[in-house]
Amino acid sequence: MDLFPVWLSLRVSLVATALTVVVGIPVAWFLARRRHVGKEVVAALVVSPLVLPPTVLGYYLLVLIGTPGPIGRLLGSLGIELAFTWRAAVLAACVGSLPLLIRAAQAGFESVDERLEQAARTLGRSEPSVFWSVSLPLAWRAVVAGMVLAFCRAFGDFGITLMVAGNIPGRTQTLPLAIYDHVQANAMREANVLALLAVGAVIILLVGVGRLARVRY
Amino acid sequence: MLSVALTKRLPGFALDVHWDAGEAVVALVGPSGSGKTLTLHCLAGLIRPDAGRVALNDLVLFDARAGIDRPSRTRRLGYVFQGYALFPHLTVGENIAFGLKGWAASRRRERTDMVVERLGLGGLQHRHPRELSGGQQQRVALGRALATDPDLLLLDEPLSALDAPLRRQLRDDLARTIREWGKVTVVVTHDLGEAYQLADRVIVYEHGRVLQSAPKSELLWQPASESVARIMGMRNVLHGTVLKATPDRIQLRWRGQTLEAVNSPSRAYLPPPGSPLAFFIRPEYVRLIRKDRGAPDPSHHMNLMSGTVVSQTDFGTTWTLAIRLDEPGAPAQGEYDLEVEVPRLVHEILELDRDRRWQLSIHRGSIHVLPA
Repeated sequence: MDLFPVWLSLRVSLVATALTVVVGIPVAWFLARRRHVGKEVVAALVVSPLVLPPTVLGYYLLVLIGTPGPIGRLLGSLGIELAFTWRAAVLAACVGSLPLLIRAAQAGFESVDERLEQAARTLGRSEPSVFWSVSLPLAWRAVVAGMVLAFCRAFGDFGITLMVAGNIPGRTQTLPLAIYDHVQANAMREANVLALLAVGAVIILLVGVGRLARVRY
Repeated sequence: MLSVALTKRLPGFALDVHWDAGEAVVALVGPSGSGKTLTLHCLAGLIRPDAGRVALNDLVLFDARAGIDRPSRTRRLGYVFQGYALFPHLTVGENIAFGLKGWAASRRRERTDMVVERLGLGGLQHRHPRELSGGQQQRVALGRALATDPDLLLLDEPLSALDAPLRRQLRDDLARTIREWGKVTVVVTHDLGEAYQLADRVIVYEHGRVLQSAPKSELLWQPASESVARIMGMRNVLHGTVLKATPDRIQLRWRGQTLEAVNSPSRAYLPPPGSPLAFFIRPEYVRLIRKDRGAPDPSHHMNLMSGTVVSQTDFGTTWTLAIRLDEPGAPAQGEYDLEVEVPRLVHEILELDRDRRWQLSIHRGSIHVLPA
């Protein structure tokens, strides 16, 4: 049977998780530590993917990155096609995952005693150094928890991916979409194998991370 | 020379303080919420004041008008936070070396070893903060702050996290460490004993303002006001009426007695007759007159009065007696008029347990007037 959807899903969710970390951690830190006027707006924007229907998110994403959309046209002029490729699936997964990572990491940063960061400043450390040597090491367990959630959310995305990446077998058909297709075609054996693989992958991940995060200070 | 002028408005609180200190060690004392820690934060550059100027010798740390606001990391200071704020994910050695980033590895190790040794932390270098006792944590925090050889040392309630017996011993150690390293030091405390032992100058805070800034000896004998006297825990803070005031004496009326007091030697206080006046009498300076030595001589015993001991409290090395004067009317301090403190030995010799009626005398130099 065709295992392409398994590999594609793993690749998409790994890339999406990495992207989510790069974008999400600075946002989480900003929300945890700065008291700007724009904070509430950013916070609301961050949560919106959790509460909006995936198809609505997918629709707006498509409007943005589709060939006639603003981002789509810009990328098109550079010769890059985004909509209905595996990269669009990555983007879709990111949209769903970001709020989970940001909220977990934000809680982590907020739980770091602010005096520790102040102590680092008085000891001559610059802001980036304070972040890397104090804030992040002390919040890392929450950050890792957020990464796990983000990965699982990316791995399981259905609606947003379907809207912007389509369901093209061998190109953009991820594991959840493949299971859906198999069930539609009454190919229950194939659906069963894929579902078990998904469950197995997530359990392995959770156990592994659980062990890693057991270090206590 | 540390010179500080700060204003900072926060929701529900305003800090407006101004003080200078030429001494090496300064203590900020006052009730909690009076702005002491906020002052330290402003000195450290962790909070930006609305206005003012902070300068250490020739180095301007902050000047609102000139637009100078050095970031914390370039202020060359050591800050010991309340509760110590040690990095929980780093070992003792790593905590102490934290401020030595950018030093060559060998120099950093040398410096860390030196600090570890001088603060008596040998053998603990590879422990994590959670494995240390409170006293050890305090020394690590001190070592971490001193390792960078700062020009200014800021201590926020350095002993309040410790138990009482340990506290007294660590107070001696801390006093010695501060003297040995010889840094300009600002220590925040609500404990006067701590302030007296550690500091040369004491600055009294209340409601975000400075009530008094004085060398500690002066503060003990000449609190600037009744509020300072109360914050400093002065007992027998009383209210009388002025009869006559001259530059060196003040005569006043209190509880049917005419008391004579010495006027403040640094700034004579000349209120018109009839004005209310606060004063305090240190309980250890009230004399009980021995009955086995004949009648008291009024020319020798000033401010004579008589009363009854209504209650007494044992403080171990001393006893405190509450005495009610033989005057009609309500006593000045609830059940009694005066608190009198006597050493345990005196308490035994005078058989105070048995004998409740006493004549008292207070030297005019022991009645301290408090300008309104």
